Formats: sequence, structure tokens, C-alpha cells
Amino acid sequence: MINAVRSELLKMRTMPGVWVCFGLAFPLTVLIMWAIFAGAGGEAGHTYSYVQTLNDRRVLLGAGYFSITFLAPITGVICITSEYRQKTITNTLVFTPIRSRVLGAKIVVTAYWAILMALLTLVITMTVGVFWDVQLGGSVSSVLGQAGAVVPGLIGASILLALFGLGFGVLVKNQVAGILITIGTVFVLENILVALARGVLHYNLNWLPSDAAGALAGAVSKGGFGGGGHNGGGPYSSLLHWWQGGLVMLAWGLVPLIIGYFTTFRRDVT
Amino acid sequence: MPAVTTAESPTRGLPVEFKDLSKHFGTVKAVDNLAFTVEPGRVTGFLGPNGSGKTTTLRMLLGLVRPSSGEATVGGQRYRDIPNPSGKVGAVLEATSFHPSRRARTHLRMVARAGGHDEARADVVLELVGLPGDAKRKVGGFSMGMRQRLELASALIGDPDVLILDEPSNGLDPQGIAWLRDFMRYLAGEGRTVLVSSHLLSEMAQTIDNAVIISHGRLMAQGSLESITAGYTQQSMQARTPEADRLCDVLNGAGMKFRRLGHDLVGIDGVKPEVVGPLLASNQIVLYELLNQGADLESIFLELTSGLGFGETGKPS
Repeated sequence: MINAVRSELLKMRTMPGVWVCFGLAFPLTVLIMWAIFAGAGGEAGHTYSYVQTLNDRRVLLGAGYFSITFLAPITGVICITSEYRQKTITNTLVFTPIRSRVLGAKIVVTAYWAILMALLTLVITMTVGVFWDVQLGGSVSSVLGQAGAVVPGLIGASILLALFGLGFGVLVKNQVAGILITIGTVFVLENILVALARGVLHYNLNWLPSDAAGALAGAVSKGGFGGGGHNGGGPYSSLLHWWQGGLVMLAWGLVPLIIGYFTTFRRDVT
Repeated sequence: MPAVTTAESPTRGLPVEFKDLSKHFGTVKAVDNLAFTVEPGRVTGFLGPNGSGKTTTLRMLLGLVRPSSGEATVGGQRYRDIPNPSGKVGAVLEATSFHPSRRARTHLRMVARAGGHDEARADVVLELVGLPGDAKRKVGGFSMGMRQRLELASALIGDPDVLILDEPSNGLDPQGIAWLRDFMRYLAGEGRTVLVSSHLLSEMAQTIDNAVIISHGRLMAQGSLESITAGYTQQSMQARTPEADRLCDVLNGAGMKFRRLGHDLVGIDGVKPEVVGPLLASNQIVLYELLNQGADLESIFLELTSGLGFGETGKPS
């Protein structure tokens, strides 16, 4: 297992798609921070200001969450689907013929890269964000003081979102389809289903992937961060507790992973 | 041929056994009760036409395809049950199994890690396959021949006792094919077991010691090359003539078996030159060349795999 993990670590490190995801995380996180500063000082966002409320400080520190929401699943998808896209799965299974071991190594490595991605966004917010905040009149300690409340949820959500992507990647094998399904679920299908559930069934559909991940990340920061507009938006918009969100998100990752393992991943490689 | 770093005794190879191996894809029988043993210290050719089940058989050996029945073992163990299998068995399956943006050395370090081998072996095997100067190049820029060599390097990373090669000469130029032939002989000379599948018979005839011939997933012949060819007394000749069409008519009229090999080349099977010569002379057919080949691997292969027996008359194509 350790050999497989070491090999997968090198494999991921030498995969351009992973670095593209990491490269995108920087501008996206900066963009979110810009939006936070733009909205911090005035009702309509006409004035740039340092972050003033406790919630805004946590939102600033966790500004990378938005990029993680779709870049972490893509990283998970790439981890497995590139094997089929580049036909390297044959070599992988020749060197590690026990397939559960290969999948186990991929879970470990996906989680590892998800942690790195979360840490990267935190480095960006803790350096660029704090510097920017200080330039606008804020203080270093006011933002960094919230790290303990933001970091665990952000890392946990990143890991589970990446496993969610890995699960769908194992299930569908096709890279483009895997990315489209994962991102489409998080950003399109989920919004449609949530809106339909609210409008037609008057049901709070808060156990879909991004809301579940948001609950895990957002609850740590006492609401707001990660929860977006759902928090405090009425009786049908509250998020799950953080631990419920974590469990639901874990299921979103594990269920397709297990189904994929027993269907597509164990199939003959011809 | 560069020196191998870990020279061991000539008896280092392991036998590879296929025991009543079958594979069905739906209603299609890809491999049908295949049973044979590959001996160490010899190059064994695994021969059969396209679609005869060679690749499926090798993939079953390596655990990539699950057999419908039977089993394949290396040294008595299933591949997946061998601890650290790449240290026992090296496999060259397809020359496209690389990420194009990965460098050759990185690819080899990666497989070395997966197999639990020393990453320094990457440079050793690159040297061994003649790619030491391309270690830092991305595989995407490699020619097919270079990819084949890199795939061979991957297979050798664990210094295995058994080498499985599936159509390794695909995409190689004549120099590359000659190099591969010498390389396989060199590895077998060290006592390793070498099993190589191919449909390039003339090339295989110069390389292999033993042959296993399959058709439609079934074993047709096996043994040493000498024993297989000795079992066939049929003669095979090639006639080069500017009157190939008329020659075919004459052979057809005489009830002889023949194959049209080119616009001026006809293969004549199952008769001696003493019979063919007078026939051509009496019909005043101009000959540039009449070559007596005896019973060659190609004619045996064609008889065994085409379903067209020597007793039947071929038609000019």
C-alpha cells in the first residue's frame, strides 16, 4: 500500500491538470477577497474597506472555499480518469495488481492534494488578504485570530469534495464526463433541485454536495462562511450541523466510490 | 548489449503455466481451454493471427482480465498473489501506456516506486534499452520505437525473472527489430523466461526457440521450433515469374496448392521441386527464381490458423 501511495504521489505531482487547478485557485481566491473588500464598507459595495465584523473576517480567511468547491472535485476526478484517458491504468494495475490497493492509494493521495489546496488558499488569504486588509485600515491580528475557527472546516470540506470527485471519476471513467457531472451537480443541478424543493415541496433540500460541504466549512465559522446565502434565508435555507454536513459529504464521496469499485473499476482491462 | 547490473545464475527464470484457461466475452469464446507451459531460459513465441486471443491470454496471466475458467501461474503462483510481482514478472503490453507530459525518468521512477524497487534503477534500465540520453525528455515527444523501448525499460525495472512481451516489435524500424531480437536472446541467455506474442512470423522465426501457435483461442501447436517444423513434411516453394497469372492457371489445372504472394511471386505448397520444375518447363513458363523453402514457420502457421488445410486448393487472389 505504501509503495502504491508513493507512486501515486509522484503521479499526481507530474500531472499538469492538477497544477492547472492549483494555478486557478490563486486568482479565484483573490477575486473572492476583492468582492469581500468591495462589499465590506458600504451597503452597495461602493466603498472598499477592511473587514469589520467577526463573520466577515472568517469569510475573508476562508475566501478560498469558492475555488475549492469546484477545483477540489476536479482534482479528484483527474486522479482516476487520467489513468483511463492516457491508458496508464494498464501499467498501474500491472505494478499493483490488487485493485483495492490502487483505489486506497488514490483516496489517500486525493485527500493529500485536497489538504494542500486548502492550505494554498489559506496561505493566499493569510498573506495577500491580510496585507490588503491592513492597507485598507484593518489589523493583522483581527483576521489571523480567526484561523482556528476556519481552517479545520475548510480542510475537511476540501478533502470530502475531492473524494466526491474521485468517486464520480471511478464511476464514469471518462475525464470530461466526470468533470462535467461533478461540476454540473454542484453548480447547476443542485441549485435547480434546491429551488424546486423549496418552491414546490416546501422542503429544505440541504443534503446535496455543496450545501453539505458548506455546512461542514460554514458551521466552524459560526454561519455565513461557506453557507453563502442559504444561511438565514428563511425556513427552507438552513444548513445542516457541521458534523451532519461532514457525514453527508462523506457519503457523497464514498457511495459513488464503492459503486464504481464494484462495477467499473473491477472490470477487465482489455 | 550493455551489461545487466544483477547478473545471476542462468537458472533464474520461472515457468509460466496456462492451465485450461478460458475466457468468454458474452457468447464469444476469446480463449478456449488453453493449456501450455513456457520454459525458462528460452524465448517462446506466442503466435496467432489478429483476434486469436493472444493479448487476452497474456492479460489473464497478469490479472488484468478475469478468466472464465482455468488459471495462469508464474512459478506456481497467480500473478496477483506474488508479493512484489514486478520483481518476478515484467510486462510490455502497449506502447501507449504513458502520460505524454511525463518525462521518461519520472515515469520509470513512478513504476519503481509502485513496485517497491530502487528509483536508481530508472537510469540503469534507460541505459539498458538504449535511451540514456532521453531521460529528461517528455514521453509525448517520443517516437513509437522509443516508446516501445521505454515500455521495455518499465518491464525491466524490477530485474524480473520472467518477461512477457505483447507485440513488442510494433512500430519498430528494422534496426529496432534487430536490437529487440538480440535483446530477447540476451535475456533468455541469462536464464530468464521470455514469452513474446507476435504475428510477424519471419521475424519470430529468427528469434524464438519454442513456439505456441493458437487460433480462435485454441492451442494448435506447441514445442520447439525444430519439433514443430519437423512434424510437417510439406514442402513450400516460392516462384518469381513475369507470368504469375499463367503460372496460377497451370498450378490450378494440376491440382496443386498455391498462394499468390505478389504481382510476380507465387507460393507453392505441398509438392517437391522435382515435381514443379518439369511442370513449369513443359508449360514453358519463364522463371526468374524458384526457391525451395521446405516447411517454414509461415506455411505451418497458415495451415494451422487459417482453416485452409494443405489438402485444399487455394485460389489466386
